[in-house]
Amino acid sequence: MEQFSKLPKYRRKLSRHERKKALVAYSFIAPNFIGFAVFTLLPVLFSIFLSFVKWKGGSFDNLQWVGLQNYADIFKASKVAEKGLGYLFTKVDLGIALKNTVFYTLVTVPLTLVCAMALALALNHAVKGAVGFRTVFFFPYVASMVAICVCWRFMMMKDGPINQLLMGLGIPYNKSWTADSTMAIWSIILVSVWRNMGYYMVIYLAALQGVPVDLYEAAIVDGANKRQQFFRVTLPQLRPTTFFASTMMIISCFKIYDVVAIMTEGGPGRSTKMLVTYIYDEAFSNFNYGIASAIAMVLLAIVLIFTLIQFSTEDRYANK
Amino acid sequence: MKQSSYQSRVVVRTTPASVALKAVLYVVLIALALVTLIPFAWMLSASLKLDREVFTYPIRWLPETVHWENYRLIWSKVPLLTYFKNTAVIAILVTVIQTLTSSFAAYAFAKLQFKGRNALFICYVATIAVPWQTYMLPQFILMRAMGLYDNLWAIVVLQSFSAFGVFLMRQFYQGIPTELCESARIDGLSEYGIWARIMLPLSKAAIATLIIFTFVSTWNDYMGPMIYLTRDINKTVQVGLRRFIQENSSDYHLIMAVSVCSLLPVSVVFLALQKYFIQGIATTGLKG
Amino acid sequence: MKKALALVLAAMLLLSVAGFAVAEEAQTLTIVAWDAGTTPYLAAQKEAFEASHPGVTIEYVDVASQDYPVKTTTMLSGGDQSDIYIVKELPHLLDWQAAGFAEPLNSYIEASNYDMSGFTGIESNYAVDGEQYALPFRSDFWVLYYNKDLFDAAGVDYPTNDMTWEEYAELAKKMTGDGNYGTHYHTWLSAVVNWDVCDGVNTLIDGDYTDLAYFYQLYQDLEDAGACMSYDELKAAGLHYSAAFANGNIAMMPMGYWYVSTLIGYNKDGTCNFNWGIVSVPHKADVAAGSSFGNLTGAMINAKSEHKDLAWEYISWLASEEGAIATASTGTRPAWVSEAVAEAMASADGFPTDDASKAALIPSYVGIEIPASEHSSEISTILNEEHSLIMTREYTIDEGIEEMNERVAEVLG
Repeated sequence: MEQFSKLPKYRRKLSRHERKKALVAYSFIAPNFIGFAVFTLLPVLFSIFLSFVKWKGGSFDNLQWVGLQNYADIFKASKVAEKGLGYLFTKVDLGIALKNTVFYTLVTVPLTLVCAMALALALNHAVKGAVGFRTVFFFPYVASMVAICVCWRFMMMKDGPINQLLMGLGIPYNKSWTADSTMAIWSIILVSVWRNMGYYMVIYLAALQGVPVDLYEAAIVDGANKRQQFFRVTLPQLRPTTFFASTMMIISCFKIYDVVAIMTEGGPGRSTKMLVTYIYDEAFSNFNYGIASAIAMVLLAIVLIFTLIQFSTEDRYANK
Repeated sequence: MKQSSYQSRVVVRTTPASVALKAVLYVVLIALALVTLIPFAWMLSASLKLDREVFTYPIRWLPETVHWENYRLIWSKVPLLTYFKNTAVIAILVTVIQTLTSSFAAYAFAKLQFKGRNALFICYVATIAVPWQTYMLPQFILMRAMGLYDNLWAIVVLQSFSAFGVFLMRQFYQGIPTELCESARIDGLSEYGIWARIMLPLSKAAIATLIIFTFVSTWNDYMGPMIYLTRDINKTVQVGLRRFIQENSSDYHLIMAVSVCSLLPVSVVFLALQKYFIQGIATTGLKG
Repeated sequence: MKKALALVLAAMLLLSVAGFAVAEEAQTLTIVAWDAGTTPYLAAQKEAFEASHPGVTIEYVDVASQDYPVKTTTMLSGGDQSDIYIVKELPHLLDWQAAGFAEPLNSYIEASNYDMSGFTGIESNYAVDGEQYALPFRSDFWVLYYNKDLFDAAGVDYPTNDMTWEEYAELAKKMTGDGNYGTHYHTWLSAVVNWDVCDGVNTLIDGDYTDLAYFYQLYQDLEDAGACMSYDELKAAGLHYSAAFANGNIAMMPMGYWYVSTLIGYNKDGTCNFNWGIVSVPHKADVAAGSSFGNLTGAMINAKSEHKDLAWEYISWLASEEGAIATASTGTRPAWVSEAVAEAMASADGFPTDDASKAALIPSYVGIEIPASEHSSEISTILNEEHSLIMTREYTIDEGIEEMNERVAEVLG
């Protein structure tokens, strides 16, 4: 795969022919890019600017440049400097939201991908009824969130079916998941995995259909058993898919909002407060658009770091 | 594309052990499928109950009496038909525009050389990471200035140019060997010709993928329509759904009934396109 | 296959173009409100105003109640020109005023020599630096609802307008059993501990929450005794108080006055068919009987409105006695207090006929749930977070209150 980081730099003056070529390329991009630039990029750039001002909405005359003040505020910089990093992650809204979001992402992404891959592997063999299973597992992704989350919250109630199941397995647990600081985040994780598993399963399933047969044949000739086949052939062949899936998933996990809003509203306490929950509160309860934008920039920075690491590993494998 | 797109299993053996393994597999799969479907079963059953029965304890899986009239009520209590029509209009327009423009743009990102390509692409990917809530207000002000407030087109232009489509299509086009384009160029095809005659036919599958993803996400979008669409004649299903959640009461049985109805069109789209969809993803994930 | 795909795309395009609705401009007074399609008092107000002002049409812009703050603020920030906005929560007005969305009203008040005596001073909550920015038209205070049938069946005397919290707790425990709950607390902070502001001294933004301990303790004792449904259960099931009380197995429930119109509606459409009454909420021994707290609902003129004079005519009518009577006729409590209004409230179709219920209509004191200040929203976020920790018993009452004090102190600086 070609990498955008590996392109030759255009230093010399462009020839007429090259200029024409570039023009053609721009014409391809233009229809989408104009819409994208006007309706997404421009507002996004504006929100970067907003992170350096105080603004409560209304006319732009109300804008007040404050520099890095918003960032200092969300990190409670002076307090943290005084009391240490522990304070940031136990007392400050941003630190708590950050901790929750990162924890949620680190658990949800691998769990979803492993489940998705396992399902795909299973369905790759059980050919009969595969279309039916595929559809069933994809179904959660199609359903609208309100109905589904209300339902899950109910399932995870104090004496609900899930707790009864746990009881049957010899794990007594007698609280509503969403009303318990430790379990609440797991209820979000569970619903997220359930919802996204099918989506990524289909991606993996399709990727598996495309793994060349001769690779397995060669492995069998080398005397590889099933497990070795999986680790030596299947897994490496799935790497590009895993790259695409995990990139998209990390981004969407960092932006988790709707499940939390319906299931726990960020609670109990701040135990499921996520970065976007925090942004939402600041923007729409407190009308601090500057602060909300500053939090978003923190989120953007983290996701960019993750994504660039991802892209660089893609590089390494792609050019092997 | 070098790989055979579909192949039989490599090792075909029918030993008792493999039969047993298969049986176990089926049992596990069926169990999992049932677990996956439980919330839907609950949803369906709740949609046939009276409001006060929905959250009764212990869970009653079958309604005491089946209240089919809930499915009649939802159409008369709110203008649901209008909501469905609006949602369909938006979802279809977005799907069409998104599919066309992003496959067009993705071709340039994947196969053409031009100045600023990397920077532009990074712009696209980076915006995916910014939560909509933070740029919603500037976007709203812009839309309003353009006269798009309380107009279905607001959602159409909002959703049509998402970075996701370009990202997905670019990944796919990169899997198509560049030699194909080169030889077409030698044959005298213009870049537009290559896109139309070579790329598009080869990317039917990816397009189907994009159609499903776009259609589903637009159909289920809530925040966008909530902010931009105000009058009843413009509301979508997901926004209309909230009319059953009021300040002093909520009709969960009707919410569930609407949700069940809302599932149908998306399921039809998925089922109709899933044969393309499977192949589409396969090639997206593979290197060229 | 290619053809099929092309056909599908073409058909989709055609369908969507055909189905497009064209926006049209309306020349009426537009009012932004929540649940406009289903709220009885909004319909009554529209009807009464249109009857007395021929040629004017009221048009509501309906916003879902839970989306109201987000949607209205975005609309206003985007330069929306709807004439009137209903102010749902007090703190919003402050934010709207600061952003310049609210039309200052003093000049209108002077020009029309507007009489504000019927508001008994509560209109000052909508004033900033002596300038009025909205007029109140609803003032909901909290009362205690009770199910007469359950008390009759148990042979226990009805609650009275003069009960202490201890007496109430006793009564609740007495009424518990046989699948019945003595009382019901909705999950909100206000339903459990807001009583603290009934003494006219405490507020929820003063930074000292030590006094809330009394009410949390009272609640936990009742929950432990099984006299009310547990917070856990209510949260997980998302059970709404209106459905809970309508179920008929709850003897008492403290709730805002707005629930009267819901109950009247339930009685009419058969959702519930028991007899109910209201009394004043209980009081602490050292606080006067009949003290309660409540919330204001007001109307504001959008500074961007193009029909400001008409809008003023509407809101001044809405808040005054005439509008108040229209509001009261649906079982909703208007902000304007007068004998005629009290009469309209008591004679609302479906309102309980006993004397105690009528007497409960006139509270001795009404504190404000959360007064407007620049920190109100932030403080209420904090209080709600800690509230959920206390209610789920993750924190002891003292731990929770200590955190409230600590975190709010940080906000207040």
